[in-house]
Amino acid sequence: MVDLYFAGVDVGSLSTDVVIIDGGSNVLSEVVIPTGVNGSEAAENAFNSALGLAKLTRESIVAVTATGYGRASVAFATGKTTEISCHGVGAHHLFPKTGTVIDIGGQDSKVIQVDSQGRMLDFTMNDKCAAGTGRFLEVMATRLELDLDELSSPLNISGESAPISSTCTVFAESEVISLLAKHTPREHIVHGLQRSIVNRIWSMVASIGIEGEVTLTGGVANNQGLVKLLEEKLGLPLNIPENPQTVGALGAAQIACRKY
Amino acid sequence: MMIPNRSEYLKSLAQSGQKIMGVLPALYPRELLWAFDIHTAEIWDPPGEILHANAHLQTTICPIVKRSLEFILKEPEIINAGYLFPHTCDSLQNLGTQVKDLIGVNVPVYTFYNPKGSFNNTTTKYYREILQNFQTTLETVYEPLNPEKLLSACVLGHKIDSRLMAIQQARMTNHLSLDNSAYFELMRAQEYLLPLDYLNLLGKIDILEQAIEPARARLMVSGILPPSPEVLKFLDELGVSVVADDLLAVSRRIPKFPMDAPLLPLDYLTDRFFILPPCSTRAGDLEERLHHIDKLMQASQAQGILFDIVKFCEPELFDHRLLVKTLRERNIPVLTLETELQAYLSGQDKTRIEAFTELLFDMVSA
Repeated sequence: MVDLYFAGVDVGSLSTDVVIIDGGSNVLSEVVIPTGVNGSEAAENAFNSALGLAKLTRESIVAVTATGYGRASVAFATGKTTEISCHGVGAHHLFPKTGTVIDIGGQDSKVIQVDSQGRMLDFTMNDKCAAGTGRFLEVMATRLELDLDELSSPLNISGESAPISSTCTVFAESEVISLLAKHTPREHIVHGLQRSIVNRIWSMVASIGIEGEVTLTGGVANNQGLVKLLEEKLGLPLNIPENPQTVGALGAAQIACRKY
Repeated sequence: MMIPNRSEYLKSLAQSGQKIMGVLPALYPRELLWAFDIHTAEIWDPPGEILHANAHLQTTICPIVKRSLEFILKEPEIINAGYLFPHTCDSLQNLGTQVKDLIGVNVPVYTFYNPKGSFNNTTTKYYREILQNFQTTLETVYEPLNPEKLLSACVLGHKIDSRLMAIQQARMTNHLSLDNSAYFELMRAQEYLLPLDYLNLLGKIDILEQAIEPARARLMVSGILPPSPEVLKFLDELGVSVVADDLLAVSRRIPKFPMDAPLLPLDYLTDRFFILPPCSTRAGDLEERLHHIDKLMQASQAQGILFDIVKFCEPELFDHRLLVKTLRERNIPVLTLETELQAYLSGQDKTRIEAFTELLFDMVSA
């Protein structure tokens, strides 16, 4: 089984991620590229890069599970599974005591409860609005003329927090413009934005509750300020994967392996 | 199964001189109207863009009310005998008042204030009185009611109820070979077909002697209207069968258990009203509703519940939170979708439905 290879392809709204594993669940390669306007093409490119890094050929991959909003566009996939199931399986694989997964993705956020096998028990997802998602931070970073790394750097983690709406990205952007006009320090605004996302996530967590350890996935898990605030709000330490962005693809690869 | 197109069917009826009353959701004494030879065309979710209705209504009013008003403002010719506004919720009651007193239409507007609360001496007496009053109102517009016609209408309604109960039972026990889309198309045809046409249609549905292979996963739906055709089609594609429902437009309008054939029409209609399943729009008891849902889930072997909630539906949202909380405590998988009665399925809702299906499949295989 170790000589068999499996791939997970997560076509998200912001990035396309591919993970290749062997039958013993060892990760052989991970690739993250921007999705752009063509999810199908992004999946092909990311898959080819991952194959190159793992020094494997396309034929050596026995099963590919596609996930993410663009899962239906992955022509070479042998199966597809929602990102909700994949994040549950991926997070459980990395942190076996995980009972709750919080995934803050590019266009939506989810809270997922999993059992001791990583199987989904319940989930909730944010509504149509982009508030509380990676897109929210991206929009705000542009407005603040910061890149995403700067938005999460400890320098921008301030004790003071500017009040920002947690209900709508568009309104929140207007609020940020007003705050900038009033010369509110950028770090206070950043802190307010992070708090706004945390409040949004908290309401989702409250709706289904917390079980076991909590693992945070998705690129936003790299935002140190947000992680700190979320831990404070939950009153719990969070498991942060080394590569939080590829947990969905890892879960997809695990599912490909399980189903094979 | 050939079901006539709603719009074409009603147009053709109106052209033939049939009296047609536009009826807003949900509970009304249909048999009384049939006895006056008035056909009831129910208005739940007329398609199209909401433009003019927004000028009369707050943004937080549900899409059923908005779509209904948009339809009414167009003054469609098929509605030639007036509109009936049952008191299903405050928004519909207000709409009735607006249409009658403020907007004005060229046909009569009637209201029917269903009692809230459960069966007791006061509510039954009240219901019987409003039936009588409605009859009197119609007699002033048309002609004195022929009691034989009312009895015949009740007998017809009784036959429809009995057949619907049998079909629902067959659905729950795998004795019906209709997919989700076809099943709910059949259920919704009662909103506009003449009662005899509907009864004939129901009569053509095969109830199988042998149970068919159950679907990979079985689901119950709750809410106001059946999920949109797009959702039903998607569930069909995923291999999920909707085997039971707690929908206002469907099973909450069918008596909980069989009734004797009608003898005294107004008594029969009163009895029928009070043995309908528990419902948020009648301020029904939540425990009773939970018990009813439990029974349906057991009878149908449904593994989870999909709540398809109409945005801003006040009565339903009051119950929804507590229902979900209790069902989750009982480890029953629950998915809630919020609908604005749009004719498409968003990517996010697709993901929600698919993830919920994966959860049910995992449960089945575990």
